[in-house]
Amino acid sequence: MLEKAKVSLFLAARSISRGNKGITIFTIFVLTLIFVQLILFSSILAGVTVKFNELMVDYQTGNLVIEPEDEKRYIENTAALQKKIESLPEVLGTSARLKASGSFRYKEKDAGGTIYGIDPNDETFVTGLEGAMMSGEFLSKPDRGEVILGREVSGGFGALMDSKSLGGVEIGDTVEVTIQGNTKEFRVKGIYSTLFFLADSGAYISRADMEEMLGVRDGDLAHEISIKTTADTDEFEFRIKLLSLGIKENIRTWQEFAGILRLIQDVLGIVRNIMSAIGLLIAFVIIFVVIYVNIVNKKRQIGVQKAIGIEQNVIIASFVLQAMLYAGCGVIFGYLLMRYGIIPYTVVHPIRAPLGDVSLGFDQLEAINRAVLLFLASVVASVIPAYKLANKDLLELIWEK
Amino acid sequence: MENHTRKEGGKEAEKLTKNDSFIIEGIDIVRTFKMGEVEVRALRGVPVKIRRGEFVAIMGPSGSGKTTLLNQLGLLDTPNSGKIIINGMDTSGMSEKEKGKFRLHNLGYVFQDYALLPELNAIENVYLSLMMQGKSKKEYESSASDILNAVGLGDRLYQLPSKMSGGQQQRVSVARALAHKPLILFADEPCANLDSAASKQVLDLFKKFNENDGQTIVMVTHEDWHLEYVDRVINLMDGMLVEKNDVK
Ligand SMILES: Nc1ncnc2c1ncn2[C@@H]1O[C@H](COP(=O)(O)OP(=O)(O)O)[C@@H](O)[C@H]1O
Ligand SMILES: [Mg+2]
Repeated sequence: MLEKAKVSLFLAARSISRGNKGITIFTIFVLTLIFVQLILFSSILAGVTVKFNELMVDYQTGNLVIEPEDEKRYIENTAALQKKIESLPEVLGTSARLKASGSFRYKEKDAGGTIYGIDPNDETFVTGLEGAMMSGEFLSKPDRGEVILGREVSGGFGALMDSKSLGGVEIGDTVEVTIQGNTKEFRVKGIYSTLFFLADSGAYISRADMEEMLGVRDGDLAHEISIKTTADTDEFEFRIKLLSLGIKENIRTWQEFAGILRLIQDVLGIVRNIMSAIGLLIAFVIIFVVIYVNIVNKKRQIGVQKAIGIEQNVIIASFVLQAMLYAGCGVIFGYLLMRYGIIPYTVVHPIRAPLGDVSLGFDQLEAINRAVLLFLASVVASVIPAYKLANKDLLELIWEK
Repeated sequence: MENHTRKEGGKEAEKLTKNDSFIIEGIDIVRTFKMGEVEVRALRGVPVKIRRGEFVAIMGPSGSGKTTLLNQLGLLDTPNSGKIIINGMDTSGMSEKEKGKFRLHNLGYVFQDYALLPELNAIENVYLSLMMQGKSKKEYESSASDILNAVGLGDRLYQLPSKMSGGQQQRVSVARALAHKPLILFADEPCANLDSAASKQVLDLFKKFNENDGQTIVMVTHEDWHLEYVDRVINLMDGMLVEKNDVK
């Protein structure tokens, strides 16, 4: 058994080292491209997912969100709770927010969105909104009657749904804001764009203005408290820690808010699987053709090998080993190309996507899975022609043109 | 079985000893090729007996069935009917796999166009079958270089066939055929593509192995001057034996 494997390996090695280099290079090149194609979509998906999550954490939820107890509309004694949480070493900041859906009116145009009432000083420790200003400035503590608008509300600045916006509000303009039937005029202080559609469909005003519009007297209420933790904090563990502090309010990690994103991901995942199946089929056909042509060219050699008594299985195995080596090289080169070429390139030069700059991610498990499939495809694609040919009558192999 | 027959003594034993001295015994070999509707009867019941250590030529006009006969005797093909007994073993019941194994261990071939594997160099071409037999690296390398030395190619062990002249390639092919010390060497017009000097070299080699090592050789040829090398000629005509066997 072992000596047979040795002969197969010997024949395969010589065939590669002394055979047609062009065919070898071409085959490996094609397999490399196929492998890249097989994992590219997953990488894009992984990149998009990472981006989505980043944007959501950075501009909306922070790492964790505290919500009112069940059947309560507000979190009470917010300041004390914030203080308690902020005393933990993992916490970089907390922001207590009031929020309501509302509408905007500017020059006969209407738009809707979520409006947040915030303490600007707190908010800057949690989200990156201050750095996302496209025009004007972020709110500051004493501001009253001022609003900052997301670009999907203001319009312009590359808003995705410009027609549903107010159609180009500028800094200093006055817009009418209506929340729960109360309408008030606000001066636009700034316009921000996070490139995250959901975050950009909102607006921010000061807590005091919001309390006034909601008719809230108690200045210590909030709809949510968003918590920003240090980068190395595990949200799930931290949630348990918060619970152990006796916090009765609902505590949710950002992952729980990623529901819509997960739906999008699931749909894209199906698309990805279909693309992978097609890719594999193409890979199979290409490998089959390349190896078939390669083997047919060696008909005579196969005949001679059979004549001198080399076993069919040994001959077949020598071709399969070659195909496996090609596939292995394709996978390795494809991996290197993705890992050290395409992906780092997109990190330095991100792809401009509607949700912002996306760098490709790399899904190790997915890559291994595709590598195995590609490997199997090339084994099958080489076994079939090799088996068919090696089973032919040896004189036919030697003399047939 | 053999022992049993021997015990009978007398005529039986004598017969067996005689039979035993034939390394190949072909009985009424028939080989017919079907080419669509047409049947080509390449061999129409040919009997062949070749003794151990003989150097036999198969001759006859083109298309008379020489190659077909050699292929039957060399187990490269299977006759439609008839029997081939090699070294006392009836080969007609063998499966393809068994035949392959038998060829690997017992038979050697030299083809008209050398049929070397282009991706293997001289010594690799020669030791491939030894490797397949499961010999150790040391064994097969030394056997292969010995035999290549013996055919005068000791200085070209690592040359690829494409870098060699026809004569050199054919000598590699001879070395390959003989490396595993086969019972019989089969050669189908081994000199057809060679000039007379190279032809002579190959035939001299055949003669040398035949005389020094008692190598049995069956060679197809159509050159009359080759006859001075051989012990006996089998003449074919239209797939039948022509009875003018002139033993030298
Ligand atoms: N594989 C084959 N298929 C059909 N006909 C064949 C085949 N091999 C040989 N023949 C025919 O059998 C006859 C004998 O062929 P061959 O043994 O090659 O003759 P030779 O070697 O004496 O020239 C020829 O008529 C040839 O055409
Ligand atoms: Mg012939």
